[in-house]
Formats: sequence, structure tokens, C-alpha cells
Amino acid sequence: MTDTSRPLVAVTGLTKAFGDNHVLRGVDFAASSGTTTAVLGPSGSGKTTLLRALNVLETPDAGLVRIGDVEIDFATLPAGKKARAETSRLRAQSGMVFQSHNLFPHKTVLENVIEGPVQVQKRPVDEAVADARQLLEQVGLSEKADQHPFELSGGQQQRVGIARALALRPEVVLFDEPTSALDPELVGEVLAVIKDLASQGWTTVIVTHEIRFAEQVADQVLFIDGGVVVEHGTSAQVIGDPSEERTRQFLRRILDIG
Amino acid sequence: MRHALRVLALLMLVLVVTPSGAAVAAQDDRPVVRVGTEGTYPPFSFHESDTNKLTGYDVEVIKAVAKKAGWRLQFVETTFDAIFAALEAGRIDVIANQVTDNPERAARYGLSDTYTYSRGVIVVKKGEKGITKLSDLKGKTTAQSLTTNYAELARKAGAKVEGVEGFAQAAALVVQGRVDALINDNLAALDYLNTTGTDKIEIAGNAGDEVSEQKLAFRKDDTQLLQQADDALAALKADGTLAKISKKYFKIDVSVENSGEADLSGGRAVRSDAQIVKDSAWPMLQKLLIATIPITIVSFAVGLVLAVAAALANISGSRVLRGIARTYISVIRGTPLLVQLFIVFYGLPEIGIDLPSWPAAVLALSLNVGGYAAEIVRSAILSVPKGQFEAAATIGMGYWQTLRRIVFPQAARTAVPPLSNTLISLLKDTSLLSVVLVTELFRQAQIAASAAQVFFPLYLLAALYYWVVCAALAAGQGRIETRLNRFVAR
Repeated sequence: MTDTSRPLVAVTGLTKAFGDNHVLRGVDFAASSGTTTAVLGPSGSGKTTLLRALNVLETPDAGLVRIGDVEIDFATLPAGKKARAETSRLRAQSGMVFQSHNLFPHKTVLENVIEGPVQVQKRPVDEAVADARQLLEQVGLSEKADQHPFELSGGQQQRVGIARALALRPEVVLFDEPTSALDPELVGEVLAVIKDLASQGWTTVIVTHEIRFAEQVADQVLFIDGGVVVEHGTSAQVIGDPSEERTRQFLRRILDIG
Repeated sequence: MRHALRVLALLMLVLVVTPSGAAVAAQDDRPVVRVGTEGTYPPFSFHESDTNKLTGYDVEVIKAVAKKAGWRLQFVETTFDAIFAALEAGRIDVIANQVTDNPERAARYGLSDTYTYSRGVIVVKKGEKGITKLSDLKGKTTAQSLTTNYAELARKAGAKVEGVEGFAQAAALVVQGRVDALINDNLAALDYLNTTGTDKIEIAGNAGDEVSEQKLAFRKDDTQLLQQADDALAALKADGTLAKISKKYFKIDVSVENSGEADLSGGRAVRSDAQIVKDSAWPMLQKLLIATIPITIVSFAVGLVLAVAAALANISGSRVLRGIARTYISVIRGTPLLVQLFIVFYGLPEIGIDLPSWPAAVLALSLNVGGYAAEIVRSAILSVPKGQFEAAATIGMGYWQTLRRIVFPQAARTAVPPLSNTLISLLKDTSLLSVVLVTELFRQAQIAASAAQVFFPLYLLAALYYWVVCAALAAGQGRIETRLNRFVAR
């Protein structure tokens, strides 16, 4: 992929406020190519905003985001057309999987997956379709290609969402609480797909409440609270033996309930 | 369904192309003079019931004048109350519709020599004894076209005047007892009595002693046409043509004073309601197919584009665009369509934008549809979940791509039922277009009704035509809704 001597994703000093509510107060983190990063934290901690900032669904107030070769310094980002071109270049570096899948209801499963490659990347339809079929096979939905999203279960819909994100061949795949909206019995199939991606060398960043899953799969865990990274390290460090009191409290609460 | 549509389209094409093709073929360098006339005022200006051809005393007179003066005529039919506005706006060049001379008109327009001498009469319900002369009208109600000389007479006599579109409508109100009387031309009243064979109304007496003189009306500054017309009228009087035309309709020569009592008994035959409906069914269907439906389709299409533009402007980040869109929507929704039609057709020429009838009609209706549909489109766009916009953004789609491929197909589901309402309203609103001189279905019904002097069956037929088209539209709406709903979980 890219230069291996530096991390694939690098975030420095990221801040974002909605009015008086300072959601991100200077977040730094980096992720190497081929690794899985789990982002944990209580609700309102800023973890989803961080993820959305990587895909520029939220525009940070200041800070640096670099994915692969594309870097934006949001403090100096000008307004207007040039900014839109810059942000869309950065956005193209990552694929996004939403909590509530956001599949296009009027398109078939296959059409959902090829929409980006054909319409945006202008790839030949044949090639995009072949690619999409392969991805659908990978997420276990080959036979659903010609159905519409409403005909699928929640877990299947989410797996189509993953295939749609992968179809753009992004550098990084971002997951925003991919299993939170699912019935408990459907969580497993989605996590299995994500785990599979990790083993295939995809670089992923996952905001999740599935602590056990993060512990198993993540190469790196970030614990975020109050808009800053409170603690980060390997899953064994952050989940197995947290050094910060706030992390311990959070894990205790989550695991007791879970 | 699809096949039927194709046949319909072909039929419309044939109907539209045939007359225009014929017009192109005739090469002619005579000056074109546009004649404004009601087409609904028998025996002066009306459509023959069997051929639907425009005819009548005034029509034949102006044709004879044109022949002498070397004009090529173009008839423009409109209601009397719009006829002077049309003359002043330059939409017509002359009025041939029994314009009675009076000092106000003489000051404002160029009036020709007299071609009809007649007198006004008061018409009442049979058996009404209380009204025999003008002074009896004090405190009573009469039905008149508002801008006629007779309306002025009635007002001066102290009567309350109800505005109507023409003689036949006024007569209907008298028969129904909704007004006490009407004042009109003796000849028009006799024609009504003879054509309908009615015994429900009668001529009660003269409206004053004065003989009224009817003339052609031109714009004041159009002295050349006026001079040509006067020369032609003098020649027609001299060679007996005018007398001949007059005797055909009235048995006497009304183009000279005191020629005796007119006799219209040998005029047009009394027809049964069934015959009237039968005679009018095809001309009305033609107007439905070549005017009402095409105008509706084009106006709706243009209106929808305006609506989408206004809706997008209204939800855009630009304060200026939002302001423009909101003003537009507010003005359109806050003013009557009839007023909008008048402004576009009679107002815009004042600032140099002179649109012919059809473009003016389509412009006014499109603007109207755009204003109403803009709010429908806006709420439909906003009904698409935010996640859909975000999903489109993450796969790299731009603004227009997102709208076209993701948002509009989903917004359509919300928008189709209210937009169908708009479309159905629009179809029916085209019945207002006679004020901008478009002869559509309803105007054709008025024309047929006035020739026959019978309203009810013809308006019922018009209603039936509108209803059939609306029912078809509603059925189409059902199909589209089913189609749009098929991908939504129920």
C-alpha cells in the first residue's frame, strides 16, 4: 500500500465544538496499515464524532488528519470550492459503515454495492459488478444480490453496508457502532465479517461497545472520554489492565451490564 | 395503458399539425388585422351549431369590410369584459361586437361609422308586471356584462348589476329568478326568444327612448385602420352589401335608422338538448385534446422544474436564494390565479414583454404550479432520512448526483400524492384560460352554450370530460404510488 515507515492514519490535535459543547478537545492517534483500532468510550465522549471527522461527515474546527497521502489541516482549510475538493479527496481514502446501515432502499443489494464504483469512480460496470459479487460472497450474501434491502434481516443489511464500503477500495474502513442497532442474535454474523476483514489485512477503525470483541480483534484500543484520548495501547493493556481510573470505571459498568 | 397513451399523443399531433400546416401554405402580403369578438353573442357573433364556424352579423360585416379594405382577418375570441383590455394591450386591432357608441368610448377609442341601429330592451321573467321601463329598475337587480353600455344604463337607473359573461347567462339568471331583469339589445333578445322557443321570459319594454348606435372600435392612435374601415362601410352601404347581410339575419336593414321591426323568426332552428349535446361533443373533445391537455402537461412539467429549483433554493445555505424562493412562493400562493393570468397577459406587455396567448397561459400556470409544488418538493426532500445524504456523501457523490440518484427517487414517494392533487387542480384551472384568449374545453362549452342559448347540458358535458381525465390521472397516481412503494418494508 503506502510507505510503511509511517502510520497509515495520523490524527493530531483534533478539536470540534457544536456551539458551546466541545466534543473533541485535542485528539491525537495513529494507526498502522493492516491494523484494527477499537475506539471505546461512554456515550457523549466524542468517539463517534472522531470517526465521522475522519470521513469529513463532520468538519473539525482544527487539527490535522492524514490518511495515506492525503492530509488536511483543518485550522487553515479555506472555504468554498477548493475546500470541497480537498475534503472529498480525504473522504475517498476511507469507507464508512453506519450504525443504521443507511442502505439505499430503492436499489438492489448489488446496485447498492456498485453505486460508488460506477457513479463516482467511473469504473466499468462489468468490472464493478464482478467485484461486487465477490464482496457479497465474502460477506455471505451472494444469493441476495438482486433483492432489496427491506427483504433482508438487520444483520444482512449491515453486511451489505460493509460490502458497499469495501467496494470503493478505501485505505481504511470506518465502523460506527456497527452492531448497536441489531438484535442480539444478529450481532455475531456482523462481527464475524469484521473479524474476517482484519485477518485479510484491511485497516479498520471501529467505534464499538463490544468489549470482548475489541479485546479479541483489536491491535490497538483507544479509550476516549470528555473529548480526549484518556488511554491507548494494546487491547491487553487497555482492556486487560487499564491504568486510568476512568477506563476501569467504564469497563466495569459495561461488562457488568453486558 | 401505454398503447392508449401513444394513440392519444398521435391524435393530438394530427389535430395540432393539420390546421397550422394549412396556414403556412397560404402566402399572402395583405396586412393582418386581428378582430376581437365574443363568439358567444348571437346573432352578432357566434358559432354555427353544426359546423362550429364563427359567424353572425358582426362577423359577416367585418369580413365584408376587410374585403373592401384589403385586410387579412384573424379572429380572436374573448369575453366582452376582457375585450377592451385586449384592444388596449395590442392583442387585437379592432372590436366587432356591437360596441355601442357613448361619450366615454368615443373619447377613448377610435369609433367607426355606425353599422347597427338598435335599441335596448328590458327582459323579465314572464308574468312580471312591475317592470316595464328603466325607472322601474330602481332597487332591482339586473344581469349584465359589466363593461357594456347596458350595464351603465342599468346602474344609472338605480339597479344593482350582477356581472355575467354574456347574454345567455344573463337570460338563465332571469329565468331562474335570481335577478329581476336584464337589459340588452333588442336584436339579441329576439334571437334568444326565437332560438330557445322559451316562454319563460319576455321583453317588458324599451330601455329608454334613445336609439343606440353600434360601431367598430379601434385604438385611438390607429387612425389609418379607422379611415379604411369608414371608407369600406360607406362603400358597403352604397352597394347594398350591408343591407343584404342585415336582412339575412333580421329581415330589415339595421344599418340605417328607423327601418322597422326586426323579425328573427326564420333564424336558427330550435334544437333539443340531446341534439345540442351531440353537436357540441366533438368540438369540445377537440379542445380538450389540443388545448386543455397539452397546456396542462407542459405547464406541469415546467412548473415542476420551477418547484424543484425553488425548493432547493429554499433549503440551501444561501440567504439570498432562500429569500428569492420564499418571496416567489409567498407571492404565488398569496394571489389568485386569475389575477396572475391577467398580469402575465395584459400587464407584461406594458413593460415590453408581449407573449402570445399560449406561452402566456403556460407561463402563468407554470409559475403557479411552481409556487404550490415548491413546498411539496421541499417537504418531500426533507422527508428523506439524513442518513441517506450521509451515505451518498461517504461513497463520494456530489450534490446533484446525490439528489438525482438517491434523494429524488425516495422523495418522489412522499411527493406523488400531493403533486397529483396539484396536477388535477391544474387541469381544472385551465378553464380560466379564456381570459387570456385561449379557447380550451370550457371556453368551447361557453361558445356552444351561447349559440344554443342553453347552458346546463353543455356545462354538464364539460364536467364529464374533466372528470374522465381526472379519473384517469387518479388511476395513474395509484399505479405510480404502487411502483414507488414496492421497495419499502411494510
